[in-house]
Amino acid sequence: MTATTTAGARTGATTTAKGRGGRGRRWHRIVIPLGLAALLLTTTLVTHAVDQPDPDAGFLSPVATGDHGGSRLAAALRERGVTVQRETTTAAALAAVRSAPATLFVPAPALLRRETVRALDRLPARTRLVLVDPARPVLVSAGLPLLPGERRWAAQALGPAAGGLPCQLPELGGVGSAAVGLQRYTAGSYRPEQVQFCFAGALARVSGAVEQVAVGASDPFRNDRIAEWDNLAFATGLLGVTGRVVWLDLAEPEPPPATGTGRPSRTPATEDGPGTGTGDGSGDGTGTGDGRGGPGEPGQPGGPGGGDQSGSGDGDGEAADRDDPPNPLWAAFPPWFWALLAQLALAVLFLALWRARRLGPPAAEPLPVTVRSAETVLGRARLYQRAGAREAAARTLREAALTRLLPRLNLPADAAPDRVAGAVAARTGAEPAATEELLYGGEPETDQDLLELARALDGVTRTVAPPASPDVPLPDRTEGEPR
Amino acid sequence: MTWRAALLLAAGALTLPAWPSPLAGMLVMTGAVLLLVVLDRALAVPPSALTATRDGDRTVRLGGTATVVLHLGNPSARTLRAQVRDAWVPSAGARPDVPPTRLVRVEPGRSAALPSRLTPTRRGDRPAVALTVRSLGPLGLGFRQRSERPATPPWTLRVLPRFDSRRHLPEKLSRLRVIDGTQVTRGRGQGTEFDTLREYVVGDDVRSIDWRASARRADVLVRTWRPERDRRLVCVLDTGRTSAIRVGDEPRLDTAIDAALLLTALAARAGDRVDLLAADTAVRATVTGTGRPALLPRLVHALAPLQPALVETDFDLIAGELLRRQRQRSLVVLFTALEAGALSAGLLPVLPRLAARHRVLIAATHDPVLTALTTAVPAQPRDAYAAAAGWRALAERDRIRAALARHGVLVVDAPAGRLAPTLADTYLRLKSQAQL
Repeated sequence: MTATTTAGARTGATTTAKGRGGRGRRWHRIVIPLGLAALLLTTTLVTHAVDQPDPDAGFLSPVATGDHGGSRLAAALRERGVTVQRETTTAAALAAVRSAPATLFVPAPALLRRETVRALDRLPARTRLVLVDPARPVLVSAGLPLLPGERRWAAQALGPAAGGLPCQLPELGGVGSAAVGLQRYTAGSYRPEQVQFCFAGALARVSGAVEQVAVGASDPFRNDRIAEWDNLAFATGLLGVTGRVVWLDLAEPEPPPATGTGRPSRTPATEDGPGTGTGDGSGDGTGTGDGRGGPGEPGQPGGPGGGDQSGSGDGDGEAADRDDPPNPLWAAFPPWFWALLAQLALAVLFLALWRARRLGPPAAEPLPVTVRSAETVLGRARLYQRAGAREAAARTLREAALTRLLPRLNLPADAAPDRVAGAVAARTGAEPAATEELLYGGEPETDQDLLELARALDGVTRTVAPPASPDVPLPDRTEGEPR
Repeated sequence: MTWRAALLLAAGALTLPAWPSPLAGMLVMTGAVLLLVVLDRALAVPPSALTATRDGDRTVRLGGTATVVLHLGNPSARTLRAQVRDAWVPSAGARPDVPPTRLVRVEPGRSAALPSRLTPTRRGDRPAVALTVRSLGPLGLGFRQRSERPATPPWTLRVLPRFDSRRHLPEKLSRLRVIDGTQVTRGRGQGTEFDTLREYVVGDDVRSIDWRASARRADVLVRTWRPERDRRLVCVLDTGRTSAIRVGDEPRLDTAIDAALLLTALAARAGDRVDLLAADTAVRATVTGTGRPALLPRLVHALAPLQPALVETDFDLIAGELLRRQRQRSLVVLFTALEAGALSAGLLPVLPRLAARHRVLIAATHDPVLTALTTAVPAQPRDAYAAAAGWRALAERDRIRAALARHGVLVVDAPAGRLAPTLADTYLRLKSQAQL
């Protein structure tokens, strides 16, 4: 006797190979997606950092010739006969603006102090104020009825009439596309009639005695991109309206002035009064309304308006000024409490380390096939039903019934339909015509017809050729037996 | 480290309010616990020093319970305190007497016996997979554990087929004895092979009187006949993809093995010689029946590790093997599935060669679901479609059956539970009709 089993050795070999490969694949499964995600993140952040200018290093200065400088813009303005007056302090800039109608260009409004920004709406009439990419606190402090909307990762080139509305700034009429679409502005809940949007919201103008313009991107003014699209035309058109540009060139955050802004500074105690409970953005309108007895128009010159608007951003100002003292939460509990918390966290970490080490690997084995042999038949039945194959199903059922009936009736396989129908009708007692229709009829129209046909065929075969025994599903089948 | 280290640290945290400097206290306590863990781990018995051996049952019948004992020896000079997990494949149904959560203590120089009770759920070879020993230090704070230290002692439990159909064996054997003529219940033995001459007694069939022999002797002699003996029977098991399909609640191969065992037991008792061949794309097992007494156990052992392979069976190979091994005319019982695709492409081309030399019998099982589909009264449109699909499958099977019958092949097609007795009946009928 020789009993050879090669299956065992073969299975063993594949198991070891799979084990080695499985460990490698498991490692890959962790590393590849995380690595891809990290690569994507790094690429995005690096590209963004390269694309976005660093506001500190000579950013949009008329004398800086670097990529982020504004020397080409200043030169272009001078070429057009516009006087460019560079001022490095706010006080000087404000004084310069007061002397004659001018455009005050603020490339980095984030560097201004809050009080300075508040003073900007009290500029003399017929002054145009251009703010480059003002953030929400600046908008709020300056009393602009705008809210920052969608922000992109890189500036998008837009036409003046992009977004569906025609641009109402005539000096920009000849401008094609300009790369201003970085930050968009919306009117929020304010009344929109005093605000005009261009470039799909990337440029917002608040009309009034002082014309305030917020531009969503610094790209059209920068040396490196001013030559792209119609950026040059856009920048010179926007700044060159009044014939004189006062260029506020700040190299660093503005130092706290004593009393240079033309407005006496208030004590925090008095400012807290109107600012309490109003929040940062919507509080602006409320504060203005309280001061005037009606819906006020921010941006109008006048002492009371400016004074009342000051209530808006106070919460921010207080929080920003108070980041020196430590979080009061630290002092709320004794030091041992924090040490206890840390030690309990360490204990939990120890527990995790204990649970992380498993007592041996899980045992794997190949599982047997679970497909049932009637699977294909049942699947075909479902396919028949989904396809509505009533004709095929009816034909199969009729053929099967005839195969069972004919031997019982002692008829040949190719007997004529009327003979078969007559013989069957004689046994069942039904009409021969109906029986012939049943056995050789047409295609059933609906599923219900098919069901009735199947039932009738089943009844006929049960009457004429009853199954041998209900207990034994099928008799012993050997060669040559008729079904 | 273990949960005790975490508990120690958590308990120490409660003393923190009493420390003059809580932060320093936290650092000191954490450092102390870590130091204790490292010290405890160093004092634990290294697992690589341990020895592990096994003994116990090598085989068990499916449904029975075997016991395999793991002996864990501790040759080191320290007492071993360890958690032991002896992992078997899930289908081995292993239940260790000492669960892995309980600590095992082994004194220096002694060894511990850790029995596992195995109740396998499937036929075949069930191996032990991994032995893991977690050796804890004397404080229970730290432990040492490395995979394959000590190495897993190999052990494979062979699970034999259940042979459920042996309950049919007494009845079939008694019918065999009737055919054989040794037990007179219905008459004397029938057969075609000449046995002996004996004197006529009243009641003998006068047609079996041997006149020539009677003329030589002064007595009337009758010939007695017996069924042929020393016929050859070859069971061929198809272990290809069609044998993997579940019929009833077990793979088709298990049903075939069950029927083959009953047939072998019967044929061995009837004095026939039984060979066995299991093959798909390669020969998986062969048994050549020479020593009759031990045939059945050997056959069981050869069949136990067979597993269905998900490949198309190479009937060319099977026919070649049969023609090479079996010179004499034999009854070839082919256990396969009546599936049009597999048989018409593989078996039908080689069938003429095979049928010319041997008598071929195909034993196939079908799912009782199919019969239920075609005999039940349809209640919903879904049932009507199912009945149509069922009849179509039956018609396809009839076609392949007719194609096989044209080559003089006998087909036994029974529902899953009835294959073994039906096949035995067919064998007995062939035997009594001397068609082997």
